[in-house]
Amino acid sequence: MTDVFHPTTEAEAADLIRTHAEAGRALALFGGNSRSGFGNAVRAEAGLSAAGLSGIVAYNPAEMVITARAGTPVAEIEAALAANGQMMSFEPMDHRPLMGTDGEPTIGGVFAANVSGPRRFVAGAARDSLLGVRFVNGRGEIVRNGGRVMKNVTGLDLVKLLAGSHGTLGFLTEVTFRVLPVPKATETIVVSGLNDAEAAHAMAAAMALSVEVSGAAHLPESVKGRFAGGALPDGEATVLRLEGLPSSVAVRAEKLGAAMAPFGAVGRLDMATSLSLWREIRDVLPYADGTKRPIWRVSVAPSAGHQLVAALRLEAGIDAFYDWQGGLVWMRMEADPEAALVRRYIKALGGGHATLMRASEKTRAATPAFEPQPAPVAVLSARVKEKFDPQAIFNPGKMG
Amino acid sequence: MQTNFTPAQLADPHVAESEKILRKCVHCGFCTATCPTYVTLGDELDSPRGRIYLIKDMLENGRAADEQVVKHIDRCLSCLACTTTCPSGVDYMHLVDHARAHIEKTYKRPLMNRLTRGVLAMVLPYPGRFRMALQLARLGRPLAPLFDRVTSLKPFAAMLRLAPKSVPPASASAQPAVHAANVAPNLTARGRVAILTGCAQPVLDPGINEATIALLTRLGIEVVVPQGEGCCGSLVHHMGREEQALAAARRNVDVWMREVETGGLDAVIITASGCGTTIKDYGHMLRLDPAYAEKAAQVSALAKDVTEYLATLDLPAHMPKGITVAYHSACSMQHGQKITLAPKQLLKAAGFTVRDPAEGHLCCGSAGTYNIMQPEISAQLKARKVRNIEATKPDIIATGNIGCITQIASGTGIPILHTVELLDWAYGGPRPAQLSAAKWASAGQPLGTPA
Amino acid sequence: MTDFIRFLEPQPAILSRRDAIVADLVDLLPKDCLIHAPRELVPFETDAFVSYRRVPLAVALPRTTEEVAAVMRYCHKYGVPVVPRGAGTSLSGGAIPQEDAVVLGLSKMSRILDIDLANRTATVQAGVTNLNISEAVSPEGFFYAPDPSSQLACTIGGNIGMNSGGAHCLKYGVTTNNLLGVRMVLVDGTVIELGGKHLDAGGYDLLGLVCGHEGQLGIVTEATVRLIAKPEGARPVLFGFETSEEAGSCVADVIGSGIIPVAIEFMDKPAIEICEAFAKAGYPLDVGALLIVEVEGSEAEMDAMLADIVEIARRHGVKTVRECQSATEAALIWKGRKSAFGATGRISDYICMDGTVPLSQLSYVLKKTSEIIDRFGLRVANVFHAGDGNMHPLILFNANDPDDAARAEQAGNEILKLCVDAGGCLTGEHGVGIEKRDLMTHQYGKVDLDQQMAVRAAFDPGWLLNPSKVFPLEGRPAA
Repeated sequence: MTDVFHPTTEAEAADLIRTHAEAGRALALFGGNSRSGFGNAVRAEAGLSAAGLSGIVAYNPAEMVITARAGTPVAEIEAALAANGQMMSFEPMDHRPLMGTDGEPTIGGVFAANVSGPRRFVAGAARDSLLGVRFVNGRGEIVRNGGRVMKNVTGLDLVKLLAGSHGTLGFLTEVTFRVLPVPKATETIVVSGLNDAEAAHAMAAAMALSVEVSGAAHLPESVKGRFAGGALPDGEATVLRLEGLPSSVAVRAEKLGAAMAPFGAVGRLDMATSLSLWREIRDVLPYADGTKRPIWRVSVAPSAGHQLVAALRLEAGIDAFYDWQGGLVWMRMEADPEAALVRRYIKALGGGHATLMRASEKTRAATPAFEPQPAPVAVLSARVKEKFDPQAIFNPGKMG
Repeated sequence: MQTNFTPAQLADPHVAESEKILRKCVHCGFCTATCPTYVTLGDELDSPRGRIYLIKDMLENGRAADEQVVKHIDRCLSCLACTTTCPSGVDYMHLVDHARAHIEKTYKRPLMNRLTRGVLAMVLPYPGRFRMALQLARLGRPLAPLFDRVTSLKPFAAMLRLAPKSVPPASASAQPAVHAANVAPNLTARGRVAILTGCAQPVLDPGINEATIALLTRLGIEVVVPQGEGCCGSLVHHMGREEQALAAARRNVDVWMREVETGGLDAVIITASGCGTTIKDYGHMLRLDPAYAEKAAQVSALAKDVTEYLATLDLPAHMPKGITVAYHSACSMQHGQKITLAPKQLLKAAGFTVRDPAEGHLCCGSAGTYNIMQPEISAQLKARKVRNIEATKPDIIATGNIGCITQIASGTGIPILHTVELLDWAYGGPRPAQLSAAKWASAGQPLGTPA
Repeated sequence: MTDFIRFLEPQPAILSRRDAIVADLVDLLPKDCLIHAPRELVPFETDAFVSYRRVPLAVALPRTTEEVAAVMRYCHKYGVPVVPRGAGTSLSGGAIPQEDAVVLGLSKMSRILDIDLANRTATVQAGVTNLNISEAVSPEGFFYAPDPSSQLACTIGGNIGMNSGGAHCLKYGVTTNNLLGVRMVLVDGTVIELGGKHLDAGGYDLLGLVCGHEGQLGIVTEATVRLIAKPEGARPVLFGFETSEEAGSCVADVIGSGIIPVAIEFMDKPAIEICEAFAKAGYPLDVGALLIVEVEGSEAEMDAMLADIVEIARRHGVKTVRECQSATEAALIWKGRKSAFGATGRISDYICMDGTVPLSQLSYVLKKTSEIIDRFGLRVANVFHAGDGNMHPLILFNANDPDDAARAEQAGNEILKLCVDAGGCLTGEHGVGIEKRDLMTHQYGKVDLDQQMAVRAAFDPGWLLNPSKVFPLEGRPAA
């Protein structure tokens, strides 16, 4: 990349984009570049960083809403929230360990990639907390959408569209999102010795109880030892997180433990162990191995996750573990990403989405990172893209 | 909702009343959700809100009824689920009454339709004619499939199918009499009530009034079957034949007021909730008749469903019998008269295990003559009702309206009885004939054992 | 009927072809699925926003996605506008037709297609009511969380159209947070599927865009929604205050303290009286404002949370605190609240506002609202979702008095502008519809609206779908 621009004002960014649009020159959009491997390779000569647009604009803890400029480091947001006993409920993953990147993750990047963590299956992804955005579109116009109140159905929800658009629709300059109080207590129930299919049943049973499980992951033998400093009990570990008021968590832990007993040996993890365990699950610790071995992030119906892995095991060398009640499968391939195989099985199991999160440069160049869309949806998406970025200057190639 | 009537139109008291009703509707649409025809057909024109709009449009424009309006009003069961649902207090019953009268006055129905309705109006309200018709129907039953093939003859097919295989002999309970309270000779009765004999019910199932009289007298109540009583008028009222309905009402008001003035009455007991809804409305129906307005209001105030009256008598609680009863609340009971808890509480107190089937607010499709005039919609509602009832796995079905009994009985093998028949059995009466000895002899505890 | 808000002029070329269009549509659909007799069209002229009415060209009531697609293909080919309709419960006029449009009603598509408890999803046709979903899964201990007050009648298709909320979305989110997938028919009749039983779909979040599209991006015919296990227990508690301001500031403090109840509902004195008259729920009649606060969880959890809330309420001078004693009582409390709008019909016509404001502005906006109402010589009843600042002033007026109706509409506009100026928005859950369309420029600048309209045009370049709604008629791109 020859030029990288670091505008410090929205107006400056808009000007830059306008001149590039007029010249038809593509721009690679990014924040801290810590998720630069997410998606396909970008074909652009120049880069536009949001890192210069930094700082919390407004934060009223009593309203549980925060507004920050897009380049604000995630760490800064987390610190401000923590000081007020609040958090991002969607638990955004830190991609650096897994993808072997460095740089400072930004809040704009979190929303541009719609990042989430283990709580996603009950509390939503980043897009579910995002209330309002400001962005510069591909014509260099500054656009506002959404607002700073929880409930807002005024006009089309471009907020959702921008979330997860990986910088291909607009250059985010400011985000406003909902935050929640940090739970006062966290505990984890561990059910030991279940195979993948049994674990899927156990997790579904747990989710059917009125105990408000806020994390449900299954860690097979191959990965289990890497978690919680090796403190998990013997056998595969199916882990279920409970959060809330201490008295309530205690009661729910009893209830959940009793309900899980018929499935396998039940143990409990204290708060400190729980907090690090779920952070490790969030950041896919076992596969943060410093290699370029292909990593798939697969989102399917929870009951399909283990079936997918079982089917793939017969034909490819893979290692896998599960989050979101089995609906999020992290798969590390031995060598080849087996994209065609993975996608064929996902389709056969009722559909879903596989993202190639990591692979060698060569493999990435040959393998689309995202699930190919059915033709009519792809056509529609292309038309939407054209309405934001008619000259196609934003992150060309990123989303395929 | 905004209305658009001229002062001249509003001079008609019926229009003025309808205008007032329409003004309360805010068009929120809640009523559509609980309307049996809307949930069956999925067309707003066959929902209360759609009908209200059709009626409003017709009345505002002072138009005669036409084929379309009539089609959708005819499809209304008058179950009044909408009235229970409506948060705004729209009096749909009196609005649709007005519309039906307007239709009757301004619309000429096709020949076969007129004929069918004429036959029903001439036969059903008269027990003698009805009994004879049922006997004929038994012979005509094989013709039903033939009639089904011609749209205008479908109602006759429905009639033939609904007719019972055997018609019970006329019962003494329908004859004018005074049934003395069963109390020690030196004691006076706890109360004195008249009982509405009814028209179709005593022919189809005389056991209901027999059980009522037996139970009430056993409980120390004197029961009068007055001379001169007739059909309550509900059947013709729902056909929009206003004069005929009012004549029936006046006749009954006269009969009961004579009793009030001679022996005194604590209540007029009604064992068919459809009739109860109409009699409780006599005061409204005759409000414009200076000679009857007051008396009719008095009769309406005296009118009580048998369960409503029994609930005031403090019946003793019994041990559980291990018999599960699915209670089907007739629309005229729950929506028309707003009696929802009393029948179930009585059954529970008598030792029955009571179940509420799902979608209890939905009509079974009987609705007076609806199952004859609208056999297709009625059949769908019956199937849905029976499915919901059977899902509760009951031993017996109980309800408080003869129409529902006939309708539901034609769709299930589970015995269906009037609530009062079960109560009479529980409180010392004989086992109802529908319950075969083999199965019920061993049913739980001996009946009539106080807790 | 007032006429401040213009509809698009009916196109003479379509009106003149009415009979041919009707004949063609009759051929496309099964018997009883096309309504075209003039008398029978009148009941479809409006929804729950009765101030505006337009009789449509015809009403199509298809039973399958394929039939919807057939109607759309036809209307697209001949340039006939289409106005989708669920149960017609929109409070913003989202389903009000126009004279040259075919109403596409989803009321015959009311089947539940799949309930998958292991994956906690339900897949239903768009005409299934919101409450039907919860009722279908209730015996198994699940529910569908968004609960608009009209949930008894409103359809899931309509909920998706307006991104509906409800009392309990303080904890569980609104429709968009509970929607996993849709099957929808595009304007040209193409059928697409977005999302599914999995959580993260690929590509642009078209599902998120479609939620709240107000019938302008396509016709949703099926939806897959997320189910949630019912809480162990739930308890609504009534808190009575002397003044609305006290109640308002109490709400802000409860949320600020980090306690998030499932619902915090607000009623002022007129609203309390109206709801009590209908539901007989035992609301205190001697207070100036009432909060219904619902907590859920185990008994211990509810007790702990309530103790904290009571403590905060005391600091705001709460006059009465009443915990509900039984499930029946709880049901009545919610019945009264959820019937509030309709119950208002007992005493008056009304229009219902839907602005959302930041919680810190709640008391201020309540005060200003009553000033506006006084200035216009009207009355107001306030009943709304306080926990998320979503206000519903019901402006009472006499619909048979044109002057009164005009003033009500003007007062409403001022109140909505007030909400925007206080840092909020025009509509929290009812949608823009026809009602708030011309106020959009108060909330958004030209560039903001142009971007939204451009996206809209990506789906419907010819502006055939519900074209009179959402975007002001002036400043639209040339079709």
